[in-house]
Formats: sequence, C-alpha cells, structure tokens
Amino acid sequence: MSSVAPAHVHSAEVPQPAQHGKPGGIMRRLNFGTGLIGGIGLAIIAGVVTSQFVPSGYASPVTFAPMEGEYVYLAVLLGWVIGFMAGMGAFVGPIRWMLGRESTHLDAEYMAGKDLGRSRYWKYTTDHKVVGIQYLIVTFIVFGFGGLLAMLIRTELGATWTEVFSPAFYNSIIGTHGIAMIIAMIIAVSGPLGNFIVPMMIGARDMAYPRLNALSIWLLVAAVPCLISSLFLGGIQDGWSAYQPLASQAPIGMLGYQMTIIVFAISTGIASVNLMTTILTMRAKGMSWSRTPIFVYGIFAASLMGLYAFPFYQYSQILSLSDRVFNTSFFNPLEGGSVWLYENLFWLLGHPEVYVIIIPTAAVLMEILPVFMRKPLFSFNFAVAGIVGVVALSGLVWAHHMYMTGWAPAVNYPFMLSTEMISIPVGFLVLVVIGTLWRGTSWSRLPLMAVYAVVFNKMIGGVTGIYLSDVPADQYFHGSMFVVAHFHYMLMGAGFFGAMGGIAFYFPKMTGKILDERYGSIGLWTVFVGFQLTFGSMFVAGLQGQPRRVLQFDEQFDISNWISTIGAYTIGVGTLIFLGAIIFSWRDGPMVSGNPWASKSLEWQTPTPVPLENFAVLPVVTERPYNYGVPDPYDEELRAHDGDELESAGAR
Amino acid sequence: MTMTQAPQEQPESPTNRPPSMHRFKNWMRRPYARHVMIWTVVIGFLLLPLCWLLLAAMNQTGAPASEIMQDIETTVFVFTLVSIPITAFVFAVLLYSLIGWKRISSDEPPMQENPAIFTNRIGVVLWTVVTSALAMFLVVWGMIELAQITANSYGTISANEQPGGNQSVIVNVTGQQWVWTFAYPQTDGLVSDILYLPVDKPVYFNVTSKDVIHNFWAVELGVKIDANPGAVTTAGVTPNKLGTFNIRCAELCGMHHAYMETEVRVVTQEQFDSWVREMGGRRTS
Repeated sequence: MSSVAPAHVHSAEVPQPAQHGKPGGIMRRLNFGTGLIGGIGLAIIAGVVTSQFVPSGYASPVTFAPMEGEYVYLAVLLGWVIGFMAGMGAFVGPIRWMLGRESTHLDAEYMAGKDLGRSRYWKYTTDHKVVGIQYLIVTFIVFGFGGLLAMLIRTELGATWTEVFSPAFYNSIIGTHGIAMIIAMIIAVSGPLGNFIVPMMIGARDMAYPRLNALSIWLLVAAVPCLISSLFLGGIQDGWSAYQPLASQAPIGMLGYQMTIIVFAISTGIASVNLMTTILTMRAKGMSWSRTPIFVYGIFAASLMGLYAFPFYQYSQILSLSDRVFNTSFFNPLEGGSVWLYENLFWLLGHPEVYVIIIPTAAVLMEILPVFMRKPLFSFNFAVAGIVGVVALSGLVWAHHMYMTGWAPAVNYPFMLSTEMISIPVGFLVLVVIGTLWRGTSWSRLPLMAVYAVVFNKMIGGVTGIYLSDVPADQYFHGSMFVVAHFHYMLMGAGFFGAMGGIAFYFPKMTGKILDERYGSIGLWTVFVGFQLTFGSMFVAGLQGQPRRVLQFDEQFDISNWISTIGAYTIGVGTLIFLGAIIFSWRDGPMVSGNPWASKSLEWQTPTPVPLENFAVLPVVTERPYNYGVPDPYDEELRAHDGDELESAGAR
Repeated sequence: MTMTQAPQEQPESPTNRPPSMHRFKNWMRRPYARHVMIWTVVIGFLLLPLCWLLLAAMNQTGAPASEIMQDIETTVFVFTLVSIPITAFVFAVLLYSLIGWKRISSDEPPMQENPAIFTNRIGVVLWTVVTSALAMFLVVWGMIELAQITANSYGTISANEQPGGNQSVIVNVTGQQWVWTFAYPQTDGLVSDILYLPVDKPVYFNVTSKDVIHNFWAVELGVKIDANPGAVTTAGVTPNKLGTFNIRCAELCGMHHAYMETEVRVVTQEQFDSWVREMGGRRTS
C-alpha cells in the first residue's frame, strides 16, 4: 500500500491542521466490541429507567393491553441503536467538527483502515471496499436468518396432517421471513457490489462521503438485532406488510419490526445519497454517460427509487408505532383513522422496492454478459432506456396491490394501464440480454450460468405478473399462493440468482480468490432445480385457490404443497453448498491475478488486493465500455454483395 | 464455429424483389436463424397446453358458477396464449445459446472473440413494436373485461332500488375474527353463517368488518373484495349454477385466518324462499 500515491496532494500554501497524538485519536479504541458494550449497556439503562417511570398496570385505553412492556421494549431498542452507534464511533466525527477540530490526512487514512489488517472490518472504517465486504457478510447473515424461517414455513405447510407450530408462531415466522428476505435482497447487490465495485468502475478513489458510507452499514448492523429480537417477543404476526389494524393487535415484537424499518430506511437513504453523489460527480475524466458501464446506471436507478420510496415506508411505520405506543389514531378506523391510508403509504414503498431489488441484478447481469460472451452489450442505449422506463413508471403502479381493497374502484383502470406498460421497458432489458447472447461463443463459467437462470426465472415471473396486473384475473389470484409464487420468481428467481452471479463474478476482485467453479455450479443448479419445484407447484396451489399465509388448508392442495416442501429443502441444500463454496474458496482458494476474466472495464484494471485508494494515477476513459469482439464476418460478406444498402438499413 | 459457416448459396441480388423481403430471406439462410425460428415454434407448441392446464387447475376446486368467473377464466386463457410467442422465442434463444452456438469451458479466458453486434435497428424496432402491441392488447382486453364485470356485478341492480325490492338479493357481509356472517336486510332480520343465494338472480354484497381487514372471496363465483373496518365495500354477482361453493378469507387476519372458511349454497328460488321461512325470516317485501 505504501507504493500508492497519497490521495490528496496538498499545495504548500494551504495550512494543514496539526496532528495531535496518534492518528485516529479516540477511534483507535472503538470497534465492534465497544459498540456491543455501548449498545447493550445503554439498552439496559434505558429499559430500567423507563420501567421506573411507567406506572405498573397501565393499559392502553384503545386495546386494553398492558403498556409497560411496550414502553420498556421501545426504550431498549432506542438505547441499543444509539448506544451501539456511539460505541462504534459514529458520533466522533460530528463532535469533532462541533469542537472545531479538523481531521488531518493521517486521521483520514486511519479511518480508512490503513495498515489495520483484518481488524478494519470490525471498525467504523470509511474505505468503500471494507464497507462492501461488511455488506456482503450482513447480507449472508440476514439471508441465512430469512432462509431458516423459510424452511420452518415449508415444514409446516408440508406436514399437512398436523400443526407443527402454533398459529401465532407460524404467523410471526411468515412475517419475519418476509421482511428479513426483503432487506437481504435489497442490500444483496447494491450493498456489496454497489459499494465495493462502483467507485472502482467509475475510476474514483472512494465514495463521495466515506463516513456516511460507514454510517449506512453500521446502522444496518444495528437494525438486525431489532428484527431478530422481535421474533422472541411474540413476533410480527401480521405479515411483512403489517397492515393496520392487525398490527396493533400484534404482541410487542411488532415494535422490533417498526424500529428495524425506521433504522433501515435511514441507512438506505444515506447509502442512496452517497451512491448517487458518487456516480454523478466522481466519474473519471472522459467517462461521459455513454461511456459509463450499465451497472452504474442500475445502481443509480436503484438509489433513486430507494430515495423516493423508503420515506413512505418509514413514515408509515413511525405513524404505526405512534398509534401503538401513544394511542394516536392515524390508522385506527374506530377513532377516525384510515386503513387505506396505511395501505397506500406501504405500497408507495412496496412497488418501487421490487425494482430496487431487480434493476441492480439485471444490471450486474448485463455487466457479466459482454465479458463471458466476448462481444459488446447489445444495444447499450436500449438498456439505458429500459432502466429509465422502469424508474419512470415505478412510482406510478403501487395501487395494483390494492385492486381488491375497494378503496377506489375507478383508479383500477389507470393503474392497470401503468402496470402493464412497465412490461415494455422490462422487455427492453430482456432483448438486451438475448441480443448479447445472439450468435456468441459463450465462455461457460458460473457467472454466465446465473444469467441463464435469471432470464428463465424472470420470464416466468414476468408472464405471471401480467395475470396479476389485470384486474379481472387478479380478482381470482389476489391473496392466493399464485401471488407468492410470482413474487418469489421475481425477487428470488431474479434477485437471488442475480446476486449469486454477481458475487461469483466479482469474487476474485473482492477476495483475491476465485469462486470454486465446480461446487459453486453444483450449488447454483441445485438451488435452481429446487426453486422450480417449490414455486412451480406453488403456482398450481394458487391456481387451485389456496389462499396465502395459511397454515392449514383443504386436502386438494396437499400434493402441490408436498412438492413445494421437497423443493424448498433442495434450495436449502443448494444454498449451503454455494455458501460452502464461498467460504472454502475465500479461505483456501488459490490467489488469482487482478483480472482473471480478461475484462476490459476499469474496475478489473486495478491490482488485487485492491490498494487503499484504488488507482495510483486516476484513469482517463477514452472509449465506450464493452469494446469486445471482432467485425462480423456475415456483415463483411453481405456488404461485399449488397454494397451499402444493408448497412444503411441496419441489418448487421 | 458458427461464424465460419458461410451460407450455402450466394445471396440473390435484389433485382425485382422488395428489399425488406430480400433481406429477410437472406437472413433466414443463416442456419442459426432457421434453427431459432424452428425451436421457437416447437417450444411454443410445447407450451400451448398450458392454456388449458391453467384452467384445469383453476377448475379443480369447482367449475365457474357465474359469468364473472367465466370471464376471468377466458382472460387467463387469452393471456396465456398471448404470452406464449415471446416466452417461446426467449427460451429458444436461451436454449440455442447453451446448445446451438459453441461453448468453451476452459479455465483460461478464451482467446477468440465474437462478432461485435452493437445493435440491430430492425431487431430493436420489431421487438419494441411487437411487445408494445401485445402489452396494449392486454390493457385493452383487461379494460373491456373489467368494464363488463363491473356491469355484470352492478348493472342489473338499479342504483335507486331500495332494500325491499325483489329484483335482486342484498346481503350484508360482515367479517370478524374468524367468522363470516351474512345478513339479509330484505328479510326480517335474517342472519346466517352460511351464505344462501337463489340461482340466476343478481346479488349485491355490502361488505364490512368488525375488527381487522378480511377479504371476502367466493371462489367459484369469482367475487373478491376486502372487508375493511370502518368502511363498506360493494361487490355483485349473479350465480348461474346450483351447488355448494367455497368462501375463504384471502387477507391475513390473525391467528385463525386459515380456518376462516364457510360455504355458499346456490339453490333454486323456491328452496331459497322456504329456507328464509324456515329460518324465521319473513320477506318484508
């Protein structure tokens, strides 16, 4: 690392702040351990103090439920989040500013984890590559937690002859599985790859706001225990959508959900602003929009949609929490509130959010394709148009989740129009993928195999989506297992497989090792087969008329549920194989060169392991991305026969 | 290598043919183009049975018992049919890319590069036109069907008809955790937990809830509407088949959501009237 030139070459005229003590100051003492101590300590203090102030036996005048536990749990959650962030050192920077102490260059280098070795992963480190790895680990943890709950759900539904879990616990595992997976999938690509790869891809030395980057990941880490703790306090018994007034009936575990969302929305907002600013302002010299890789567009689009959508969710949960704890009545119809208001706020997040998941995975696939097909991305402009179209429509389709609510039957017509329109820009992205596959000799590696899996799944998810976008057909499918199968095909079939492909592709850059091709592929295809079994037969259950979120059902649904359960266990096995491949490759795999895929993009031109500030000399971009391939022989041949007529018609 | 497989014959010169047809014929001479087209047709025909299989699955609970449900099934049939060509084409390209065009599985990056197809104006325009046209067809179809269903639901019930008229049956549906109750306001306070309906007579549902959100789903009748606390939603249907059909709750409503089921019995007008009398409800009309 010492061979890298310093990022800031200061001119002699600017006076530099003096260095007091060792670089980093108090940050030298703070790490994940002090974060835990701070979080748990403040949580205990807040809980004890609150319990002294709430009169025992105080009950809510609305639900008549005892309120002491609510206030104590709320205080514990707030204490945990604030204490953890303080213990990590999140407040050190702002306090230094308030005291007028400027950071020196050495301080900044310490904060970026210079010469800290592995301990930098446990600290409030500002280096985007460290944050990327941290996001990767958090994704694994949240995904593993959600996946475990999925196995419990399928166990219950597979055992058609008995209730394995109590109805209350079953309801809380479906809710917790839902929100855990939504969080895992939102961060799965944008988190690890958005942070690790995007700055390198655009030729920058770090993100625009490195400290906000650290803030976003550690807020996310702070949110995870809020979510997990809720499962042990009665859980989220109302689905991840947490519709009111059912959410007000739920036990105090509901507060854990609400706090998770409030904190997660802050984390997402910060990360979105950071990524967008970085992409807008820090692209290398010469990287015009037509020379910007498509993945950067995808991350920008996801950040933009996240920035627009998450505040709705956050407000809905703040108001919901207020209804619960302070007996307000935003959503309580008995006191003049409206359940439809909640549904609107929720789905204003809910639909852009699926594109927050899908667009980055689609974009990372379009990044993988040219490298393994050794030809340029087919119609780059069309890909950009597809992403822009999805972003433009994403905010206008939310009420298709509310066709059957009776909220406003007349608006079903425009929402049916906007929803079915969105299949056009999504179709653009499909064309770009198959156009890039067209006539190519493929280099058959794991990342490319994930592309095939995703496109297959996405076609099924997309086609089943048009039934649901249609009001008359939705009159049958709404609230049935068909919906569950459809959105798993989109969010898991596209999101999870895309994340597997993306992580396999960038694994050599992130870890210096190559992901084991054999076991990685076995894992991928095992998951693929299990996935088709699980959700293919779930379509059948939905067509037969099985409602979603039930733990018992008529005998006619038995067979499709057994197949689903077998498929789900297969997915579990496949995921473990893939995870095993990641862990063993990371630990024991052979080191590879900086550019094992022979890619031409900027991020692969850095050495591996990537030095602290990525580029010793900032690069200058002189050509479009994806300049792969040779002149088309057919093209040459036809030109010889037909002169220029063919070329002018575009028949290349 | 595909790129070295030159066409067998030389392309004809575009003497007296229209140029577009000439280009298309030229293009179809390439072996992969023919293969992908053939595969598309084959896969399309393999997918075709889905049109009927989906309906068979939907009818497993019971065949449609109202015109609305028949409209829904027609919609499902048409949508499946319309989406098959595009799906078949994409699957054909995926499959051909895996089997037809060459694959290299070396550990080292392949030395050889592929033809640089940056774009193809005809392909892009064709794709956009076809997918947009299909999407527009779906929108128009959906809107016409929706308008028709709305007319079927409410059209036969005059807006001014008071409770007490006997051109239609009015049922006040109330969801509560975890039962459905059906009140017949045209009778003298008749309340039931099983829905009785006379056949071939329009029914008008006023749906509400006492506690949380439920969803009133009469499966074979094709009726689905949320039961919201603090609001009344409406739906309508004309059952056209005698028999016993399912009613389920289709919105998570708490612990025993799975068991919130009942049935609807569609009977003749005489049976309905005698049931009303038996239950002690006198028709007020």
